[in-house]
Amino acid sequence: MGKLKYPLYFLYPALAVFLLFFITPTVIGFYYSFTDWNINAKEIKFIGLANYEALFQEPRLKTALKNTLIFSASVTLLQNLFGLALALVMNEALKTRNLLRTIFFMPYVIAPLIIGYIFRAIYHPDRGILNVFLREIGLGGMARDWLNDPNIALYSIIMTDIWKVAGFSMVIYLAGLQFIPKDLTECASIDGANYWSRFRHIVFPLLAPAFTVNVLLSMISSMKVFEMVWALTEGGPGYTTEVFYTYIRAMFSSGEFGYATAVNLVLFVMVTAIGVPVLLALKKREVEM
Amino acid sequence: MIRKRLRLAVLELIAILCALVIVIPFFMILVNSFKGIREAAQFGLSLPKEWVFDNYVQVFKTGNILRGFKNSLLISGLTVFSVNLLASMAAFVIQRRDSKFVRAVFYLFVVGLIVPVSIVPTIKLMGDLAIKGSYFSLIMYYTAVLLPFSVFLLVGFMKSIPRELDEAALIEGCGFLRLYFQIILPLLITVLVTVTIVVVVSVWNDFFGPFYLMTDSTKWTIVLQIFNFVTMYSTNWGIVFAFMVMVVSPVLIIYFLLQRYIIDGLTAGSVKG
Repeated sequence: MGKLKYPLYFLYPALAVFLLFFITPTVIGFYYSFTDWNINAKEIKFIGLANYEALFQEPRLKTALKNTLIFSASVTLLQNLFGLALALVMNEALKTRNLLRTIFFMPYVIAPLIIGYIFRAIYHPDRGILNVFLREIGLGGMARDWLNDPNIALYSIIMTDIWKVAGFSMVIYLAGLQFIPKDLTECASIDGANYWSRFRHIVFPLLAPAFTVNVLLSMISSMKVFEMVWALTEGGPGYTTEVFYTYIRAMFSSGEFGYATAVNLVLFVMVTAIGVPVLLALKKREVEM
Repeated sequence: MIRKRLRLAVLELIAILCALVIVIPFFMILVNSFKGIREAAQFGLSLPKEWVFDNYVQVFKTGNILRGFKNSLLISGLTVFSVNLLASMAAFVIQRRDSKFVRAVFYLFVVGLIVPVSIVPTIKLMGDLAIKGSYFSLIMYYTAVLLPFSVFLLVGFMKSIPRELDEAALIEGCGFLRLYFQIILPLLITVLVTVTIVVVVSVWNDFFGPFYLMTDSTKWTIVLQIFNFVTMYSTNWGIVFAFMVMVVSPVLIIYFLLQRYIIDGLTAGSVKG
């Protein structure tokens, strides 16, 4: 057999919706980013590279670019660090293991916007529980205006995001840990390998699939961040926590549609340039395994 | 032995402290939702000096909370239906039929996993199609955004369903439609549960989509409702916290009841190796 002709009409509905509502906006976006499309324009005129010339002069784009990269790199690193650490602890025979696992994963099912609002209260400089707690344990010197200090506002947003997503990485690592045969680590243990060398030479290499999935997911989604930043600072103070999607939102609100589309396209290029090679590497490794 | 037990006890203590970091913010909104305007603005963790239930009454009166829930339920429900149906049909053919065209379509979906949404042209497109601001436009937007992941997951799973099954059914005179609906679809149930959970968590909690695409306030989802409420009532945190509790608690109740399935579902297929 093997020559069965599976009819293509099964494929068309999904393809049609995807082409119309995802690919089409992406493609017409290419065109609109070269126009002067704005809220007052009677007609949309082609203006060549003018949007991009203006855009690359704009310090605000550099800020958005820099912040998005810092945000993405920090979230990817810390989410995996905390997620892996939690998973290793939860893999031990703790009495409260199931309850703890449920709690760690809990923030993942809550809307990021709501989490942002909750942390706006927590980060309040005078009364927020974070500063109150720091003062109580005698570390009042570390108390900050977490969201209004331009030097740390971005990092406060990053920590909030980690708070939300670390449990998700933990669960993926836990799933990966289940595939590691117990006797493998026990053998190594009998042969005198300590915890760290068991982790480095046995556990971590076998966690590779979970690691790749985690890194890929957190990298791609963190470059597209919007809601957490919007709820906590709206990109402020000034533009110090601006990321791509808050910048696009600002340009959209002021009616500069062509310009907003150009910013979106820069994001597209950045995410694709980083995401596609990582995805290909993942695919290649899957084949080898 | 004692050393081993001590080590476990220390680890457990650290884990519990970490869990407190997760739980305390939820506790904070809960206690403050029962406080009057002055006390709630203190953002403290103490129990209310005087229990105020009026915040909840206010939210019910002014928050349009039932309408928000109804809209979120409608939009999530219909998106679940369309994503499951379209993605499983597509995955069925993508995995079974080997041709250049089918492979190209699959790669197009894979690219969709990475590419960020072009939001302003999307709004324009909805306008040109004369569906701007409708439930339909938002459902189609979500379906398009969630299809790549769902197709990817389902294609992976389709591999484990033997082709011999199709061949036997077709020899018996079963058509492709019946083959799909009566034989393939029931076998995909476990992955469809995963797709459903992912769709519900992403659509129910999303702010980005309705923020841009829903202009008519009668069609706002619950998350957009809370955004609007915070903008209007940010001076009275007691009421805002009450609103949050009402939005978060049904989600958490469902989560606690189904947590095993939700956690397993969300991570299924992620680490097959």
